[in-house]
Order: sequence, then structure tokens, then C-alpha cells
Amino acid sequence: MSVPPETHRPETVPVSHTGGAAPRVLLVEDDSKIAQEVVEELESRHFHVQHEESGAAGLAIGLNAHFDVMIVDRMLPELDGLTLIETLRERRVHVPVLVLSALSAVDDRVSGLKAGGDDYLTKPFAMEELAARLEALLRRPDNSRHTMLRVGPLEMDLIARTVTRNGMPIDLLPREFRLLEYLMRRPGQVLTRNMLLEDVWNYRFIPQTNLVDVHIGKLRRKIDESGKPPLIQSIRGAGFMLRAS
Amino acid sequence: MLRNELFRTATFRLTLAVVAAMICSAALQFFFGYSQASVFEARRSDMLLLREASILQRETPSELEQQVRDRATDDLRIIMNVTTLFDAQQHYIVGDLRNWPTGLVADGHVHVIEPEAMGGGSATVLRMVGVRVRGGRYLVLGRSRHMRTELRLMMRHSMLVSIVPTVLFALMTGIILSHRALSRVKDMHEAIDRIMEGDLHERLPSGKQNDDLQRLAGSVNRMLDRLEQLLDEIRDVGNDIAHDLRTPLARVRARLDRALNAGHSAEALRNVIARTIDDLDQSFSIITALLRIGEIENGRRRAGFGTVDLGALVADIVDLYEPIAETKGIILSHAGADTPIQVQGDRDLLIEVLANLVDNAIKFTPEGGRVEIRTCMKDDCALLQVADTGIGIPAGERKAVMGRFYRSDKSRHIPGSGLGLSLVSAILALHHARLDIMPSRVHDSLPGVTMGIIFPPSTLIQAGN
Repeated sequence: MSVPPETHRPETVPVSHTGGAAPRVLLVEDDSKIAQEVVEELESRHFHVQHEESGAAGLAIGLNAHFDVMIVDRMLPELDGLTLIETLRERRVHVPVLVLSALSAVDDRVSGLKAGGDDYLTKPFAMEELAARLEALLRRPDNSRHTMLRVGPLEMDLIARTVTRNGMPIDLLPREFRLLEYLMRRPGQVLTRNMLLEDVWNYRFIPQTNLVDVHIGKLRRKIDESGKPPLIQSIRGAGFMLRAS
Repeated sequence: MLRNELFRTATFRLTLAVVAAMICSAALQFFFGYSQASVFEARRSDMLLLREASILQRETPSELEQQVRDRATDDLRIIMNVTTLFDAQQHYIVGDLRNWPTGLVADGHVHVIEPEAMGGGSATVLRMVGVRVRGGRYLVLGRSRHMRTELRLMMRHSMLVSIVPTVLFALMTGIILSHRALSRVKDMHEAIDRIMEGDLHERLPSGKQNDDLQRLAGSVNRMLDRLEQLLDEIRDVGNDIAHDLRTPLARVRARLDRALNAGHSAEALRNVIARTIDDLDQSFSIITALLRIGEIENGRRRAGFGTVDLGALVADIVDLYEPIAETKGIILSHAGADTPIQVQGDRDLLIEVLANLVDNAIKFTPEGGRVEIRTCMKDDCALLQVADTGIGIPAGERKAVMGRFYRSDKSRHIPGSGLGLSLVSAILALHHARLDIMPSRVHDSLPGVTMGIIFPPSTLIQAGN
């Protein structure tokens, strides 16, 4: 497999900053090895991480201090992860929560989201995947009532279901439109293949073939201008990103 | 040690229980026999006393006195132990007793008199009768209960004589039988010990007699056959896993080695690293797939089950796979039924099944071919077929392809984990559905394969329900 020329190094992946300061992350995880790995990885990406080992301690901190995002393991001593999240939600703490679990079966995922979690990640996971999902949680997508989305030269009319580049119409299939809409709502954000499969196609498995790459490739050919750098960039080891500008 | 072992055999314990029961029944027999006999003996005693009294009553006073005196010395004392004559004031005249026994009333009825009531005249309990005779005198007759004691002694002796040989015989039989069982069990124990030491080909000894022990040994042997077969399979799978993981790792190592020695430019090194990550990802995907199959096979989780529309499922999968089919020049199409077909299932798992089948179909179909997904009803079952025009699967390999890591010789050059169909069959088993593999028969050189998923009627949701 050849490497696309527009490959970015992971360290150049931008991290969004809410209000300019480092985003504060609360990690509640009892497995010290995983916790250490996550803390190191996130700190290298300029997150400010606080780590708690038990559910009770996590809840106490989560209720009293402000965090931008939380990572909560499902299986915790003293207080399990789902109860922790439910308690937080009852006390009107609406910080986005990413649930970690060793269980990948669908019903576990559903119960995790039902308890008030915003996303779900199964162990073992790639750090890139974790970072991309935290990023997505920090920057809630632009789901406002705008009927037009604009990213760079691209313009999307959500009512007429049309897309133009520099005013020139682009003919897209419904699935290509759906994919592009997802990307345009999250400009400048790393989106992993799993996130695209889950959110655009509603699939929860990893296909053997590089399906997402093929879809992105098709979309690229339609939206890119010849001679200009591609609008959708491949991020090596992580996924794709629609350039913000 | 052996004595202890013997005691622990079921046969010997049973023998002991039988012996105990025999002793108990003999004791009961003795008790009832004795009580019956003693009642009978008392009645006979009373009859004798009364009859003797009535005979003696008829004698004249002097003759009676003579008779009583004689009786104190003659053989009749064995039968009539006490014969005494008292005067009207109940004072002693002649006979065995010196004093009138306290508690005795001369009413012509039999009384039981305790030994102390006679002022030391007798050592045992006596049955006595007192009657008035001519001249205002009293005649007292008495019989001791020594007959009853004799009776008891005799019965006890006969019981012991009969029970001891019976018990000994039962014990001997028990010991012999237990010894035989013990030696067979011992053989089995030794065989099991050898099996536990790792010799899985060993089996329990099979004897000639068709008894319960033998049937148990047969069952254990069949279980061992199955276990051995499963272990062989696991060993094969283990070898396959090792092999499939080793291949990409070997490539990684060789590539890194070359890069280290060649001194490439930064760009070339970056390329090497990228390809290395691809190989590592392949190893990862194999491990992930294995874990996932294990999870589905062990979990038996049906919480995600709901109503799944097969037509919608196929439409989703076509939407996902059409671009990749297009890039390979393959036509991917859907031939659906007129009415919607709905089954009971987990949408996420079923789409994974379909994705695997379509993935394979596209992979093994050459450019210009077709992959058709069909949904239809047949014999009350719902059918979901993925038909391709590819290289096909020979009849002999159709069962084997569902095993883990199976790769047809024809497909060695096509990348893949070899785990897809294992995953498919695990998920279908959870759905009570089965997979049917047959050739599509479009062309002789490319027979193609049709993978048919059959949902039995019990898994269908009838329209309108």
C-alpha cells in the first residue's frame, strides 16, 4: 500500500483549545498501566489531565471541579462507571463523558450511552482514536440551525441538498453528501475511520477492507480542484481531516 | 491402607448396611417371639395353679397335710414350686413358706408376688394362688418364673447360632465383590492418572460385562475422544494463529533490518515506518478478530436483538460497498423480494455478517464480474444470499472454510485474516440461522460461490405482527 503524499505527522495534529487554555480532562481509571499511558499521551498533546483511581473519588472531584471532558472506565472500584455518570447527570453536571470498557458487545455500548455517556471506546484502543474522540467531544459539532455550511471554498446548502465549490455546483450521491456534511460540521478536526463508520454509516465493526478510504477517495475526486492541495487530508495512523481554511 | 480402601467401596458399605439390617431383624424377631412365648407361659402357669388348687381342695384335711408335706420333697416341686398350708389365722402349718406372703388375698385368683413380700422365702417373682380348704385353713400354691428365663436363654442361643454364620457369609460375599470392583476401579484410576499426566490417547479399560461401571467407562471414553479431537483442533488453530501472526512480523523485521543497514533518506525511512505500521495493524486485526469471535461464541448475548429488515440491511451494505466494487470493476446489485422480510436479530451483528460475505465476494471475484445480494422467502424460511462470479469453493472445502484461518489454496495470494467466516458462523449460530455454501454455476472456469444465510421460520417476524 503506498502512502498518500499529503500524510501529516501525528504531532502536527492541532488540538483545539477552549478559551485558549489547555483543556482539562478528568480520567477515572483503576488500571494504572492504561492510566499512565493515557496521561502521558494526553499531556504530550497539551491536555491538562487529572487522574483518579476509584469511582467515588472520581465522582467527588467531578462534582466539585470544572472539567472540559471526562474519561470514565466502566469497571471501577467502589462505584462503577455507569453509576458515576448517572449521578453526575442527576446533579446537572453536563460535561461530555467518554466511556472506556473492556466489553465491546452492542448492549454494553448502548447501556453506556444510556447512562449519560457521550461516546464509547473499547479497550484496547489506539491513542490516536482516544485523542480524536476527545477532540470531537470538546468541540461539539456545529448542529445549529444554519442551513448553510461553509468550509474553505466549499459551501453546502442543507435544505436544497446542494454543494458548490467556489460557486460551481458539485454533483454528489446521497452517501457522499452525508459524508461531506459530517466533515463540514467538524472542520479542522481529526476524524478516525471508526468514527466515520459509526457516525456516517452507523456501523460498529472494523471491516477487513479499507472501505472508508475508498469513500473518501471518491469524495476527494469530486470536491478537489486540480493543482490545489486536497481539502480532505489523511492523518497517518489516525484518519482524516477537512482543512478548516 | 487396603482395609481403609475396602471400607470406602460402595459395595462393601452396602454389605455392611445389609448385615446391620439382618442383625436388627433377628433382634426384632427374638423380641416378639419371646414376648409371645412369655405371655403363653404365664397363661399355662395360671391354669396349672388353679387346676392343682381345685384338686387339692377336695382332699380331707389330714390327707391334704400329708400331700403338702410330701410335695416339699418330691419331684413335683419342679412344676409346683410352692405348696404351703396355713391355718385360719394365716399361721404356718406345713410346706415351703414360713410366712403368709404380704399382698396375697385368698380369693382363688392368681397374684404376682414380689420376692421381698415373702420374707426371704424365694429369690424370684412368683405367681401365687391362695384358696380356702376344709377346716377353715388356707392352701397357698406358687410357681416361679424360671420357665420363662429358660425360654429366653434357649431362644437367645438359637438366634446366635443362626445369625452368626449368616452375617459371616454376607461379609465374605461383600468383601469379595468389593475387591473385584476395587480392582476395576483401581485400573481406571491408573488410566486416569496416565491421562492426567498428558497421555491423551489413553482410554479407560473396557471389560466384558455390560454393567453400570462399564457403561460409565464407555461414556468417559467417548468424552475423552471428543476432548482429544477438540484439543487437536485448538492445537491446529494455535499453530495457524502463530503462523498468521508471524508472517507480518517477519516482514516488519526484515524491512526494519534493511532500513537500518541501507541508511535511507528521511522520506524513505518514513515510508518504511508507514509500511511497518500496516503490517503491525494486520497482526492487530487478527488478534481483534479472534477476541471478537470468542466474545460472540461465549457471550450468547441477545440483548441487542430487535426487528431487522433484511431489505434495509442489504441497501445499507450496498451503499457501503458500492464504491469499492466500482473501483474493482465489479457490479454490486440487490435483488429483493416484493414484500419486506423481517427477522429477529442484532442489526449490528447481522450487518457484520453481510459485510464479511460481500467483502469476500468482492475480493474473490475478478474484474468485470458480478456480486448479487438476494433476499427472498423459500419454504417458510427467509433467505439472504450473496452470489458472486469468482473462483468458487471446491465441494470438498465448503465445510472447512468456516473453520478458523482456513484459506483455500487458490486464495493464498489474496490478503485477509482467514477469520471472516468463523465470525460469520459464530454470529449466525447466535441467530439460530445457518450458512449454506453452493456454487453459483455461471461459467465453468469461474464457478462462483453463493453464500446463503437461512433464517428458520422461528426467527421470522410476520408482517402485521
